[in-house]
Amino acid sequence: MKNLLEHTGIAPGRLHFSWISSAESTKFVDVVKKITEEVKALEPALNYAKTEPKVN
Amino acid sequence: MKLIKIDKKSLKEGIDKLKRTYGVFGPVREKDEFEFKALGAAEMPDFSFSNTRMSPKAIVYPQTQLMFTYSLNDADDDCRILKEVPMDERPRAVIGIRPCDALAFPLVRRNFDTPEYQDTFWVKAYEATTFVGLACNVPCGTCFCTSAGTSPFGKEGLDVLLVEDGDDLFAEALTPKGEALLETAGWTAEAGGGAEEKITALAATANEQISSTVAFDNIKNREILELYNAPFWEEEGFSCINCGTCTYVCPTCWCFDIQDETYGKSGVRMRNWDTCMSPLFTLHASGHNPRTKKVERVRQRFMHKLKYYVDKYDNGIQCVGCGRCVRLCPVNIDIRSICNKMNNFDSEACKCETASS
Amino acid sequence: MTGYTEKIREIAARLLTEGKVDRVIGFRKGTVPMMNQPHYVTSPAMAGELIWDSHCGLNLANYVTDRKERIGIVAKGCDSRNLVTHIIENKIKRDQLVIIGVPCTGMVDRSKVCALVEGEITSVEESDDAITVSGNGFSKTIAKTDVLRENCAVCTHRNPVIHDEMVGEPVAEQTGVDAYASVKKVEALSPEEKWNYFEDLISTCIRCYACRNACPLCYCPTCFVDESRPQWVGKSQDPIDVRTFHLLRAYHCAGRCTDCGACETACPMGIKVREFTKKLNKDCFELYGWEAGLTLDKRPPLDVYKTDDPDDFIR
Repeated sequence: MKNLLEHTGIAPGRLHFSWISSAESTKFVDVVKKITEEVKALEPALNYAKTEPKVN
Repeated sequence: MKLIKIDKKSLKEGIDKLKRTYGVFGPVREKDEFEFKALGAAEMPDFSFSNTRMSPKAIVYPQTQLMFTYSLNDADDDCRILKEVPMDERPRAVIGIRPCDALAFPLVRRNFDTPEYQDTFWVKAYEATTFVGLACNVPCGTCFCTSAGTSPFGKEGLDVLLVEDGDDLFAEALTPKGEALLETAGWTAEAGGGAEEKITALAATANEQISSTVAFDNIKNREILELYNAPFWEEEGFSCINCGTCTYVCPTCWCFDIQDETYGKSGVRMRNWDTCMSPLFTLHASGHNPRTKKVERVRQRFMHKLKYYVDKYDNGIQCVGCGRCVRLCPVNIDIRSICNKMNNFDSEACKCETASS
Repeated sequence: MTGYTEKIREIAARLLTEGKVDRVIGFRKGTVPMMNQPHYVTSPAMAGELIWDSHCGLNLANYVTDRKERIGIVAKGCDSRNLVTHIIENKIKRDQLVIIGVPCTGMVDRSKVCALVEGEITSVEESDDAITVSGNGFSKTIAKTDVLRENCAVCTHRNPVIHDEMVGEPVAEQTGVDAYASVKKVEALSPEEKWNYFEDLISTCIRCYACRNACPLCYCPTCFVDESRPQWVGKSQDPIDVRTFHLLRAYHCAGRCTDCGACETACPMGIKVREFTKKLNKDCFELYGWEAGLTLDKRPPLDVYKTDDPDDFIR
């Protein structure tokens, strides 16, 4: 999943996977914090964001 | 018949002049194939093509056309009111369209511009367009225009017909629109004597090179159900993968699908080319689908082009013989064989078993 | 490969005469040069309609999906691998099939041949390792190896992996080919270059879905692009919607694609759609040592869980 997305030009680090048990609330918070920081640092990925159809 | 001669060296000058008045479209090489494109300031139509891969229908009838925009924000005065997307109504000129593709426009017009209904998007674009044809000196093996209502030098649907003769082009204005275009381009030098004879000779040579034909003289007299229930559909439709290639490359396929796309509080209504090869084409809102089998969809396409259209308009088949579907069908379903099969079909004589599906 | 045609006809006629199958699926001669048509015959008398040459690039496994009758099917290496995949995925039963195996030395890419000559090709003749194309005022003999489809050029499974009949002796498998050279080239690019590479790759896509429909793997009753409730992807020519189709089509082939090349052969616009699936094939090979459709005895990697499955991407 991650590999092909990155292969077609989605910057590495935008897609994350984690295994978190429902009992691991602190891990969940940590992971979300970390991912948010990392993705924010990459700035918005505008090339794969559709706001309206672009056609001729 | 007034013939104009254009020295190919002065072609650029004329086309540059045209670009001031018209949006100019022409065949250009794109990757390994030719396509009709809007020509940029420095671009020239490339006449070294046989025909373009896609038909030029998109110039008047784009694959995706934005029709309306709307707001869903209650604070807006025009909330939930469809607003027409403004169209580019500037005059446009298509330079180098082949006679087969040109014939497709009056043919499609029978559907889009009737006394009861006018498709304003299509009609406006069509009326803004001047069609400058380029006669086919060397047709392909898959061309069958001469049995589909036109010919390599056919004039129907054109405003100007260009004929290539070595370093020269002969131009004949066929309509007032065409005359205006030649005037604008500054192409006014009359061709000397002998031009007409030359064109006649070139046309005869081109006609001779058309090696394939379709016959549909019997189709009109047959009962719809006789053809509809013919056993050959199963065999002929077997290879079909139900992609949309034949319909999308076809200059005369006109079906479309309307879609709304909403983004937050605003949206657009658009139409996209649709294809009768897709099961979705006939899926009812109830969930019922009258054409669930691929062979039914294959039959539909050919019955529409070669029977229903013939019956409805009494004006030939809904095909101009460009051969694109023959060349590009991934599984080699050939409209020429199917048409001839429909024409020669004899339900009395046919004792062949209906193949099981 | 010459001589296969007679052998195929002979086997087809025998199977139909003996009543072992209800139909035999193969190819018949096309109406334009370098095109053949998937076709079926139901009686020994029809067997003569079947042919074989280097223009049988489509994958016939696509034509047996969910069929109920007993079928004889002509299968080159990749077709046989897709039959294996079909059997594993319960799209056909093994005992419904009589597989007529065809050792294959590769199929020809029509567009490559056309690019080598000026003018329209009107006839084609074939010998074992060359094809001769002729048209108005020209005739040219081309080595088959120069015009192979790209997937055939890097194929290492030319012989059928499963068969009941064989039309010829097995051919030598290619060794030393780098099946993933094109993927590696893209892997070396920056994210932006990668994005632009694929943007350009699919820029001419007309969304006819020939790639999807020519693929034996794509048999969903309703494809995600055709769903309208909910609508997963827009239907216009918007480049993001077009890319979404290509990406998701590829994902659905993960661990199942045999690189048969039918998608590219079918594409009317000449788009190298294998560039998407090829990356997943490479990943599957590197992560699981898996190539699809080689055996009936193993479940595909995305079908099973193992404790030693790679999980570096999870944290």
